[in-house]
Amino acid sequence: MSADTVHTIIDDLGALLLFAMILIVAAAQIYRAIYAVAAQSLLIAIAGGVLATATGNVDLWVIAGITLAIKAIVLPWVLHWVVRRMNVRREVEPVIPIAATLALAVAIVVMSFQLSASLGPVRQAITGNALPVGIALTLTGVLVMATRKTALTQMVGLFASENGIFFTAMAVTQGMPLIIEIGVILDVILAALVMTIMVLRVRSTVDADIADLDRLRG
Amino acid sequence: MIVAETLLWVLPLVPAVTALLMLTTRDRRILSAIDVGGSAVLLALTLVLAREVATGGPRALGILRVDDLGLVFLLLLVVLTLAVSIYTVGWLKQALAVGNMKSELVRSYFALVHVFVATMVVTILADNLGVLWIAMEGTTITSAVLIGYHGHRHGLEAAWKYIIVTTIGISFGLFGTVLIYAAAAATGLHGGAGALSWSAIMKIAPRLDPGIVRIGFIFVMVGYGTKAGLAPMHLWLPDAHSQAPTPVSALLSGVLIKCALLGIIRFQTIAAAACGPAFPAGVLLVFGLISVVVATPFILVQHDLKRLLGYSSVEHVGIVALGLGFGGRIGTYGALLHAVNHGITKALMFFAAGKAIARYGTRDMRVIRGLLGVAPIGGTLLMIGALSLAGVPPFSIFVSELMVLRAGIGQGHWVAIAIFLAMAVIIFAGLLRHAGSMAFGEPTAAATREPESWSPLLGMMLLAGIMILLGLTIPATLDGLLQRATEIAR
Repeated sequence: MSADTVHTIIDDLGALLLFAMILIVAAAQIYRAIYAVAAQSLLIAIAGGVLATATGNVDLWVIAGITLAIKAIVLPWVLHWVVRRMNVRREVEPVIPIAATLALAVAIVVMSFQLSASLGPVRQAITGNALPVGIALTLTGVLVMATRKTALTQMVGLFASENGIFFTAMAVTQGMPLIIEIGVILDVILAALVMTIMVLRVRSTVDADIADLDRLRG
Repeated sequence: MIVAETLLWVLPLVPAVTALLMLTTRDRRILSAIDVGGSAVLLALTLVLAREVATGGPRALGILRVDDLGLVFLLLLVVLTLAVSIYTVGWLKQALAVGNMKSELVRSYFALVHVFVATMVVTILADNLGVLWIAMEGTTITSAVLIGYHGHRHGLEAAWKYIIVTTIGISFGLFGTVLIYAAAAATGLHGGAGALSWSAIMKIAPRLDPGIVRIGFIFVMVGYGTKAGLAPMHLWLPDAHSQAPTPVSALLSGVLIKCALLGIIRFQTIAAAACGPAFPAGVLLVFGLISVVVATPFILVQHDLKRLLGYSSVEHVGIVALGLGFGGRIGTYGALLHAVNHGITKALMFFAAGKAIARYGTRDMRVIRGLLGVAPIGGTLLMIGALSLAGVPPFSIFVSELMVLRAGIGQGHWVAIAIFLAMAVIIFAGLLRHAGSMAFGEPTAAATREPESWSPLLGMMLLAGIMILLGLTIPATLDGLLQRATEIAR
């Protein structure tokens, strides 16, 4: 593949990633948000495959494989299982209207592209538009976490945010060192595990949803 | 000499092995013995390592590296870990007696504390910035479980808030790390994991692209700043530090937020070399000032004793950031010393507060009265800890605050100095009022008058001794260590 083709593919994948992010922000039902974040992880695995082919970096294949297995299949499945297991009656519960969140998300995307347009030489070190897309995904993920009350939606926001980091990390010329990426993914799995246990524990010990826990202030 | 290099890898293994040993028994006495023993071994080995580094300079083996800067934080960690272990002996007995801790959960509690300590050791020794991040997220995961350990509604709420806010915060840190890595990769730094090594990046730091380093540093500052409890990312801190079991509170406030500060210092040195010292210093000043200002009103109106200590941590982390921001030899030295002094004092305060809360059965400072009457030694320790926190001479925090102040005046940051001084005075008055009303007066009827148990007192006296010593004089060996660390950090 020529460098231009790789750029084009990465940019296209970046556009799809942003689209999936918009779906997460707009999702009024928790299931849709989970599917969208799974789709995002799938896109990132594809991006990993493309970059692996283009650069001949075998590590990227491993990372793409792990991303596919863990972030596109296992974690969404776990979230799905928790939703069923807890018999979630409450959906997304936005703190501010979804339309307002969407407007903020658009502002974040524009700002990210503005920001990285101001960076001249470094852009050579990162393929295509992966940097602005990564920044936009990370910030929008935080936005989702900040504006949703239910535990599972906050976790979806977290995974989306981490997807943004992975996308940028893959597109850095040499790719991140494999051992570091594996460590990071391990942390993500552990964090997800602990969060899931907490969600279940809150339900079983105090018979409440995380969203109801709001006594600590001041 | 190969001793130091081997020790680098042995140190994180000590708490890990201690944790594994915990799983072999259920007896509370044996568990406490392993706890204290493991912490003592960790302290002893760290002292050996410190001597090696003092004579032979920084050492590295693979992804781990120790220099004088890391040693300052490592020493703080191991001293506090030992104090926490000693304190825990009596604390646990009491917690089991009142049903605050279930006996079947004791050994996993001990094991988790040591895994938590192991992750903190790795954050301090990590040379590879990726490993630093992984270990930092590891501290979040282990300590989140510990914060919710009592299983109360409030504890679980605090634990959830903690894990969500700090995980998202720290992912900013990862993004910043990726950006710095991209900048390093653009200069042609090769060698796989080596391209993320702090010492390797420092060698080429002046050639990094300033634009991307600037953005990277801001991401890192938000990320590790969240873990450090800098405002406005501090929202989780008063909850987590107040709801955790007391020994864990001491570790969180005393050491963990300092580990995050060490991460910030590492990136600050890279950013200072790449885009001039003014930029990272400015960012640190802003976050430091916001923290000091935001913490003040909450300290004044607080009724919950442990929350008060949490907000006070926000203030003191802010002061450390101010010291780093003022910079120069005095500012950086003062900031490092302040990190140590605050760690020791805050752990002491959490210990004393934990005992007072157990005695009165409440954390409401309006109910805690006449502590000196029912617990003369514990009450005295609480009082001198509060005096030190407030910045009263001759205690240690006064010394380091003065240094930070002097650095600010030397650099002519008059606005920052004015704000800092105003807040310090207000907090001084607030803390003394709180402490005075708890220590003096007629004891409440609800307070138990049982004698004070020895192990918590021993743990507290160890810390109080260090606190008083550092207020009167800084021993030559520590001074030398701080001087060399200052050279690395500034």
